[in-house]
Amino acid sequence: MNTNKNPLIETSLRLHLVACIAFIFLPILGSFAFSLNSDRFPSIPLGAFSTEWYRLIWEDPFVWVGFFNTVKVGLVVALIATILGFGGAYTDYRFRFFGKNVYLALALLPPTIPVVIMGLAMLAFLSRVNLSGHAVSVIIAHGVMCSPFAMAIIRLRLSQMDPDLEAASWNLGGSEWATLRHVIIPFCRPALLAALFITMAVSFDEFAVAWFVSGLNETLPVKILGFLQGQVSPRINAIGSLAFLSSIILIIFAQMLMRNPTRTSK
Amino acid sequence: MLHRTKTHSRRQMLKLTAGAALATPFLSTRAAAQTVELSMLAWYGHAEPDIVGAFEEANNVKFIPKYYTGGDNMLGLIAQSPAGTYDLVLSDAEYVQQLNAAGYIEELDPADYHFDDFYPEFQKFPGHWQDDKLYSVITRFGFLGVAHNTDVISEAEAASYNVLMDGRLTGKVGHFDWYLPNLGQVSLWNGNASPYDIDDAAWSQVMERTMAMRAQVGGYFDYGGTFSSLNDGQMLAFAGIGDWITGTLEKNGAKVKTTIPEEGGLQWTESFSIGKGTRNYDMARKWIQWVTSAEGQAKSADMAAYPALIPNRKGWDVLNATNPAEAKRQNMVLGEYNAMDMIREGRIQYRQLPIQQPLEDWNDFWSDYKGS
Amino acid sequence: MSLPLLFWQVAFFLAPLIFLIAISFWTVRNFQMEPDLNLKNWERILTRGVFWDAYIRTMIYATVAALFTSLIAFPASYAISFKLSDKTRQWVVFLLIIPFFTSYLVRVYSLQVFLSDAGIINALLSKVGIPTMAMLNTPFGTLVGLVTLCLPLVILLQVFSLGFVNRDLVEAAHNLRCGRLRTVLQVIVPSARVGIVIAALFAFILSFGDFVSPLYLGGGNPPTLSIMITDITKSGQQWPRASVVALMMISTLLVIAFAAIKFAYRERGK
Repeated sequence: MNTNKNPLIETSLRLHLVACIAFIFLPILGSFAFSLNSDRFPSIPLGAFSTEWYRLIWEDPFVWVGFFNTVKVGLVVALIATILGFGGAYTDYRFRFFGKNVYLALALLPPTIPVVIMGLAMLAFLSRVNLSGHAVSVIIAHGVMCSPFAMAIIRLRLSQMDPDLEAASWNLGGSEWATLRHVIIPFCRPALLAALFITMAVSFDEFAVAWFVSGLNETLPVKILGFLQGQVSPRINAIGSLAFLSSIILIIFAQMLMRNPTRTSK
Repeated sequence: MLHRTKTHSRRQMLKLTAGAALATPFLSTRAAAQTVELSMLAWYGHAEPDIVGAFEEANNVKFIPKYYTGGDNMLGLIAQSPAGTYDLVLSDAEYVQQLNAAGYIEELDPADYHFDDFYPEFQKFPGHWQDDKLYSVITRFGFLGVAHNTDVISEAEAASYNVLMDGRLTGKVGHFDWYLPNLGQVSLWNGNASPYDIDDAAWSQVMERTMAMRAQVGGYFDYGGTFSSLNDGQMLAFAGIGDWITGTLEKNGAKVKTTIPEEGGLQWTESFSIGKGTRNYDMARKWIQWVTSAEGQAKSADMAAYPALIPNRKGWDVLNATNPAEAKRQNMVLGEYNAMDMIREGRIQYRQLPIQQPLEDWNDFWSDYKGS
Repeated sequence: MSLPLLFWQVAFFLAPLIFLIAISFWTVRNFQMEPDLNLKNWERILTRGVFWDAYIRTMIYATVAALFTSLIAFPASYAISFKLSDKTRQWVVFLLIIPFFTSYLVRVYSLQVFLSDAGIINALLSKVGIPTMAMLNTPFGTLVGLVTLCLPLVILLQVFSLGFVNRDLVEAAHNLRCGRLRTVLQVIVPSARVGIVIAALFAFILSFGDFVSPLYLGGGNPPTLSIMITDITKSGQQWPRASVVALMMISTLLVIAFAAIKFAYRERGK
């Protein structure tokens, strides 16, 4: 593969990648800068340096409650959605049955529903079964919304699996469960991890449906919506920046965890 | 009756204050257990510490806010939530009518509130009363006019809606994205004395005039977008808003102002209702009593999230004594030509639902206008 | 295996969905929805030109966003998959996950300051003598927001599928003196087709239903379907009509999703 390198193409590809990352990170870094700026309505040129907005969110008990709600909901949703998504993806990969298209439609439909409507329909339904206004309501709604993402990612991985692998395991006397445990799940591990991350992230960021179903147990994105709509407070930048920093720390941590075993094995 | 309630509540207040003073060392442990949680469905800012903090401490209450971003979402939310979810509901007068028609709010006893202290114009505000029964108590109001960037458009120029057609504003006029205030303003522009009570011929003219403005428009915004696009000069003039937006921006150094044009301005109102099925009726009532009292009103006028005018005459006294700068800025100085005079001269009309056309006609036209 | 998902979606999704279909036939009287079996809502929405204008506009936005994002993403994904060391690749992939954890609302809000007339980009442009351009409150602004929303996900999905392209196959193509571009187009793209199509599909779905970018960066001018939904609810609780628009959106996306999946998993010409 390294046989014919063209330095011009190599460089421009790398530059393009850097440009893409810059494009993605520019707004994030921007909000970081605005969060440390004294102006309530950030504009150019920036005002004086200030940590006022951080102090405000630090002292706002509702931000903390919202934060813990979000983390709680996000973790549970990631787990549920990934398990559901795996089941769905495996079903699609493995079986052919009557009504499979309906099954798939049901599994993949949720992201296609406009969130405003989804929020009201969810609330209408959940309140009729006495499940509205709690963190559980958000978990249920987000479970529905996130599992298709998990399913798509895992299905993608499964489509790259050699079908003979599973057959080989059965031939060697592995039961269906043993095959699942020792062949399929290990094969899907990167996808399962990715699914956990992405679904957690989707849940972390969802505010429109959560606004309706969470009632008084709001998650952080719902609070952000309030800050943005109500008074455009740079607190949203402060919250965003903290989320940004904590995710970077989380990721570095994950990196170290994932790298260590390989190093020791070598 | 009125007298008895008052002394009663005062005695209660004393007892509570004394209790609170005694309990202070154990506040964290004991008081927390007995704290009443009062849920409030409101526009952003109404349950923030600057406004509810003192009341929370005095009454051992904790407000749990649910902020909405539009009256229709608020109605959808309340319609689908179990009764009793929201103890207090703050809404604009148009929505009080809808909340009441749908039976989501409790009837109130007028004797419980300080209506005697209110300016007469607000003692029986339409929409808050139905068949002589009270459903909502007005707490704040404000005017809608032409919001403009003072660097580009002077107050004299903004004294007529015609300024919206000015060549300097092409692509720079913003709309707050709600048909009701915008079309009401166009109706005033057309010279309709009661902007919402117009016959079909006048309605056609309103539509015509609005459509003629389309090329001037740079965008349709919600509150978040309205704030930021006025602030950074992205939009130089705005229809459908007033001082509660420009005043907030002004306090943060932006050069914007709302001018009430010669053709007249509109008025919005915010009022508190008590949610049907509440378990905290007494405390909710106590809150409304406080926020409409002279002291509460003076605070409310300068609420951190956004300022507003207040209907309580004694509240004006307190505001003029404690915060003369804000009283001046909002034109609430006693003994001068002030906001009440503008109402009395007939320059201000209520924003309300259209009377002769169905609501959806107005809204459908607004969609057509946006999409054209 | 298949049951948990089925159970969850039937219990918590199918029911709200059926409810949604049901209310599209309800009527609104006195600001309250009343159960009914009335075709008026459908008639009212589907006969209005403004709905179809918004429909086509939304389709165009979503298509352009999906194609554009995929095109921008592919060289980046290609570079990540084939040009970076394992270690760097891991870091870049992790970098790409970060945006998911910073609120989309916050990012869009921040973009306003970049794109506005007096914003950062125009300030930089005018420094080098380029006249300022209107970017905020234009379709371009909407597009920038949609790309911001979709790009990380699309790159990740593409990288994910490129990771499974058989390296020997690529090597073989090189050995057969297959040109660089030809290798990419005839070897790599076909073997990563599923991932590329799924990524584009997600971009389309996200863009089609998004209301944050059209509202905050496009100025709601002119409106898309998701903005229209919010508008309609403003006629005094017209959720029934809004759900007609929602159902039209859902069925459109359903058709497109199935077409895309069919295309993605079409028998490969091996």
